[in-house]
Amino acid sequence: MSFFRYFLRRLILVIPLLLGITMVAFIIANAIPADPINANLPPNALNDEDTIAAFRKKWGLDKPLHEQYLTYLGNLLRGDMGVSIKWRKPVSEDIAKRLPATIELATLGILYGVVLGVGLGLVSAIWKDTWADYIARVIAFIGISFPVFLIALVLLNVFYAQLGIAVGPGRLHVLMRPPPTVTGMYTVDALLNGDWKTFGNALSHLILPALTLALYVSGIISRITRSSLLEVLNQDYMRTARAKGLRERYVIGFHGMRNSLIPVVTVIGLSYGNLLVGSILIESIFAYPGIGFYMFKASTSQDFPAIMGVSLLFAFIYVGVNFAVDILYFFLDPRIRVA
Amino acid sequence: MPSISSTSSSTREFESPSRGRLALYHLRRNPLVALGLVIAASWFAIAFIAPAVAPIEPLKQDLVNRLASPGKQFFMGTDELGRDIFSRVLWGSRITIPAGLAVIVIGSTLGVIIGAVAGYAGGIVDELLMRLTELFMAFPFIILAMAVTAALGPDIRNAVIALAVVWWPRYARILRGLVLEVKSQEFVEAAHSAGAGGIYVLFRTILPNCIAPAVILATLDIGTSILSFAALSFIGLGPEPSSPEWGRMVSIGIDFFDQWWMWLFPGLAIASLVMAFNFIGDGLRDILDPRLRGE
Repeated sequence: MSFFRYFLRRLILVIPLLLGITMVAFIIANAIPADPINANLPPNALNDEDTIAAFRKKWGLDKPLHEQYLTYLGNLLRGDMGVSIKWRKPVSEDIAKRLPATIELATLGILYGVVLGVGLGLVSAIWKDTWADYIARVIAFIGISFPVFLIALVLLNVFYAQLGIAVGPGRLHVLMRPPPTVTGMYTVDALLNGDWKTFGNALSHLILPALTLALYVSGIISRITRSSLLEVLNQDYMRTARAKGLRERYVIGFHGMRNSLIPVVTVIGLSYGNLLVGSILIESIFAYPGIGFYMFKASTSQDFPAIMGVSLLFAFIYVGVNFAVDILYFFLDPRIRVA
Repeated sequence: MPSISSTSSSTREFESPSRGRLALYHLRRNPLVALGLVIAASWFAIAFIAPAVAPIEPLKQDLVNRLASPGKQFFMGTDELGRDIFSRVLWGSRITIPAGLAVIVIGSTLGVIIGAVAGYAGGIVDELLMRLTELFMAFPFIILAMAVTAALGPDIRNAVIALAVVWWPRYARILRGLVLEVKSQEFVEAAHSAGAGGIYVLFRTILPNCIAPAVILATLDIGTSILSFAALSFIGLGPEPSSPEWGRMVSIGIDFFDQWWMWLFPGLAIASLVMAFNFIGDGLRDILDPRLRGE
């Protein structure tokens, strides 16, 4: 199968999924709350007939449900996710402003997480049942069992408050000015501006939250890597590779990794969901002004339109990442190309 | 009659060991399961006796002693309103344990039924139910639970409902596969030809043969469900703020970062309980289904 055909075929599967997600979001937003008007408008606007009438008209609340959905979808396509109750600003505007910060953090987080997770899994599988295996598995177990907000608080307390070797909360030192906005990601913008000092400071603010995220997602990744590699290590072709005199490095690096990678890639895609949830819990602790912090503030103050906006965005990102993983299979798994 | 007793004792060696002895054997080989069982049982016991043993009412404020550090008077210190953290942590088990278990019980039952019906009915029913399952799996599930809780209005019951609503898809998927497998076997055909109705066959003949993997999955899931509940509660979509719920206590503790006891102890309570259930779940999987060991 050519890459183009494979790509198109996957893409066609994604579209109904995205539509379905908007439908679920629509149902949650409009059918579950006892009164969508109550849920979506700030309390003091509830006495104002004009505001309520305008809200009804905009979302087509006086029309039948299927027409309401179409109105909702139309508004969504125009990038209109409603107005936040807490901030009184369009949700999509706020989200767009904060998204780069989260992308920056999540990218670094998943990078660390994959390196840590695959690394631990490799160590664990290659030196199975040795002390290295046990240590690696304990770290993975902590990542799986400890609430991520506790890990964040402990790391922040130890490395920032006690040892003073990590920087505090936020995205930049309070006295520093953000670099001129190009992408909205401080590290990238600082680099584009040739401003190494700002780059260093922004990066240092990312390290601790990214490490926390990494610990959180690496638990599952390392477990899957371990079991997947262990399975591969016992295969006949591994013995053949050794028998023909290949060095252990190549045996594991080429034959082992390549064949055990597919389930690992799947799990990386799936753990992106954890990463998004983790960003909510972690950004709130590191006072890191991204989407997660926004969601945290929104949900503690029951800002319904904002919560729905972020949920929808996260679902879209999740689908997007897993679509990318599907595409990656094409390169990882030669069987797809033959089929 | 010494000869007879000696014969009976020698034949006994060929009998399969009793359930109790088998359990003991496995516990000895999986010490972590034993540890998990001990921790979980302790938390269950605490949940039952908390009202009797907690030194101070969990909601009682004592503004003179606010933010007291852990010491003789307050074992785990006090919070910003002078409430005793130790008592609150003990009481917290009465919220988290039932909530975590309820999510699993409701969610997995829902999933088992949906999956079983899809697998057994086949055709358009199967198609519809499975597309629905995929749709739910497309959401990162805690995010979906957040949206549902926000829509229902935040409280403990709604958080549990929301989590249960997003919990079922994996169970449905597994059960459907198992039912498809079992459906074609001869004893099912026998039941049909004996005149048993569809619902009877599904729930009495097929389902008992498919339930074990669902039970293992459910055990493995308890830790995750407790963590998810704590996460919902942490971001304010669970019990009301004054409630002695662990996730909520940690969340309030963020603002009192230097008063580490405010967030550390409830956080460790969550971690210990989740760890215990993960130990049990992993061990149970190893014992009951060696194929899943991944070795």
